[in-house]
Amino acid sequence: MSASDFLILNHVSKVYRRNQSLLERLKKSESGGTKAVSDVSLTVRYGETMGLVGESGCGKSTLARLVSGLMAPTSGEISFPPNASGNKPRLQMIFQDPYSSLNGRWTIEDIVAEPIRVHKLRNGRAAIRARVDELLVQVGLSAADAEKYPQEFSGGQRQRICIARALAGEPEFLILDEPTSALDVSVQAQILNLLRDLQKNLHLTSLFITHNLSVVRIMADRIGVMYLGELVEEATSEELFRKPRHPYTRLLIDAAPDMDTSDRSLHPIAGELPNPAFPPSGCRFHTRCPFAQDICRNTLPPQKATETGSMFRCHFDLDLSNASVFPPAAKVKTA
Amino acid sequence: MITSTAPLLDVRDLTVTINRDGRLVTALDKVSFFVNPGEVLGIVGESGAGKSITGAAIIDLLVPPLKRTGGTITLAGTRLDQLSPKAMRSVRGGRIGFVFQDPMTSLNPVITIGQQLCDTIQAHLKLGGSQTKKRALDWLDRVGLPNPDVQFKRFPHQLSGGMRQRVVIALALCADPVLVIADEPTTALDVSVQAHILELLRDLHRESNVSMMLITHDLGVIAKMADRVAVLYAGRVAEISPVGELFSAPKHPYTRGLIRATPMPSATGEMRLDQIPGAMPGLGAVPPGCAFNPRCFRAQGDCRATIPPLHHEKSSAFSCFHPLERVTA
Repeated sequence: MSASDFLILNHVSKVYRRNQSLLERLKKSESGGTKAVSDVSLTVRYGETMGLVGESGCGKSTLARLVSGLMAPTSGEISFPPNASGNKPRLQMIFQDPYSSLNGRWTIEDIVAEPIRVHKLRNGRAAIRARVDELLVQVGLSAADAEKYPQEFSGGQRQRICIARALAGEPEFLILDEPTSALDVSVQAQILNLLRDLQKNLHLTSLFITHNLSVVRIMADRIGVMYLGELVEEATSEELFRKPRHPYTRLLIDAAPDMDTSDRSLHPIAGELPNPAFPPSGCRFHTRCPFAQDICRNTLPPQKATETGSMFRCHFDLDLSNASVFPPAAKVKTA
Repeated sequence: MITSTAPLLDVRDLTVTINRDGRLVTALDKVSFFVNPGEVLGIVGESGAGKSITGAAIIDLLVPPLKRTGGTITLAGTRLDQLSPKAMRSVRGGRIGFVFQDPMTSLNPVITIGQQLCDTIQAHLKLGGSQTKKRALDWLDRVGLPNPDVQFKRFPHQLSGGMRQRVVIALALCADPVLVIADEPTTALDVSVQAHILELLRDLHRESNVSMMLITHDLGVIAKMADRVAVLYAGRVAEISPVGELFSAPKHPYTRGLIRATPMPSATGEMRLDQIPGAMPGLGAVPPGCAFNPRCFRAQGDCRATIPPLHHEKSSAFSCFHPLERVTA
């Protein structure tokens, strides 16, 4: 642990238990459950944007809830090493859906002022109002919008209000859970540029969660790739795309269609995402991996560190820097 | 690419209005395009551009207060807009198949998928019982469901999202349609599953040579799937071009804006992100003149005064007074 560490996740796991029947409770049998996050270790440094990508059900949103303290991990620990002043860092969250995350009966002023009041960051009505106006201008709205209600705004503008509300708490740490997934392309670009500017100007540390690899590539300094609750690879943004180490990362990068109309080939990943409640044994990706061997089916691959400080979880040391290393995907009939 | 054959689907001046407390608001304003036999026409635009309304208007599935108020729709010589509701029923699912965005809500949750397939086949093809079942099993196999015999008896909730979308595709194609309208077929799916479904659609398209209208907001999907692309903005056609031309030399400033706003690595791996200022006007709030003029960096006086007509060129068409020059860099 170095002085620049901001957030440390140490072997964090989260199991969602299902409700036990009376009989099971009487027998005190060990209840199964879905291991949504499994043994994730991660360090976020000061001023850094950590990206998390993965498909639905990989546990990225669960991890966000664990880090924000909305849920407690089943095992492992999450810690924010105390900073120079000895205080815990203030944390704010921006959610995916700007329609359901704003209270329709509150004016924008009430919404944005709430974190200021809760954390007692300003005193007096006039000072709070002045701060709200300042924040609205900062996110590209106008001070006159403070009187309005959320219904009067479009999706992109609502997401700006959410950002203003998050900034109102003067956070040191920001968790962004799919902040642009509900937005249109042209509006998404506006919001991403706004977030990028704010992060640069306010020196925020943040956790950026998305399923879109292109978005995370723009926003994050380092990226973690998750698959079925496990962190399978973690590297700097540049390195992850130039030289991915885990086959899943490579396949995920290739699976998203790009805008090249001269090469119209598609690169699906064989098979389907297994049920997260019953993950495969050994390496969780072995059912879909073109390089899978016997060892992958039986033994959980260790976390391997590289000389550049990145991590991957694979038995083999594959060179996947080029997309063409893959054997031509057989037409697999999927289950 | 100009084909001498007549287009399979010809839509002219399609207008859809919405009745809002007695006030008529235009949702689709004189949209014209055509689909050639065996072609994939991509329809792209942001939400509210009218892509889904276009698809629904063609098969007369508009939900009131939306109403078709003008224009002609011709499918292989038949005027669809003049058909009776009863005749339209046999076109829907018969000559035109439809793939909806959300596979969970477009399948009936209390009927087995096999039965749903059989119902569709029987309604449109008039086959005997055993032949119907054979055809349904065939289709389950063709769309890539393992063990069709087992899957035949399963209910939609027993299948994963990708599998359900495969069933919806089988439903759309099982009655040998001449045209398939796919409305955001992969939007609800994960990236890795999306590629599977796109590949399936492409394979089936190649095998059966059915024409396709692919409605999506994802330019990546368009680049991989479409032959020609129509870009919609605020209920109007901004540009129609062959797919290669659209991406390499867009004519309409909105098209270029859309391409540049999509986060994609350039050839050198560098990420660039250019935003379009503002947002698409809502229904009934379309500015006078070109609908894009408040957000357009090339807008001039004439853009604010008159609606630019669709200007036809050899293989493409665009509606802009000040189109972008072909970049020769």
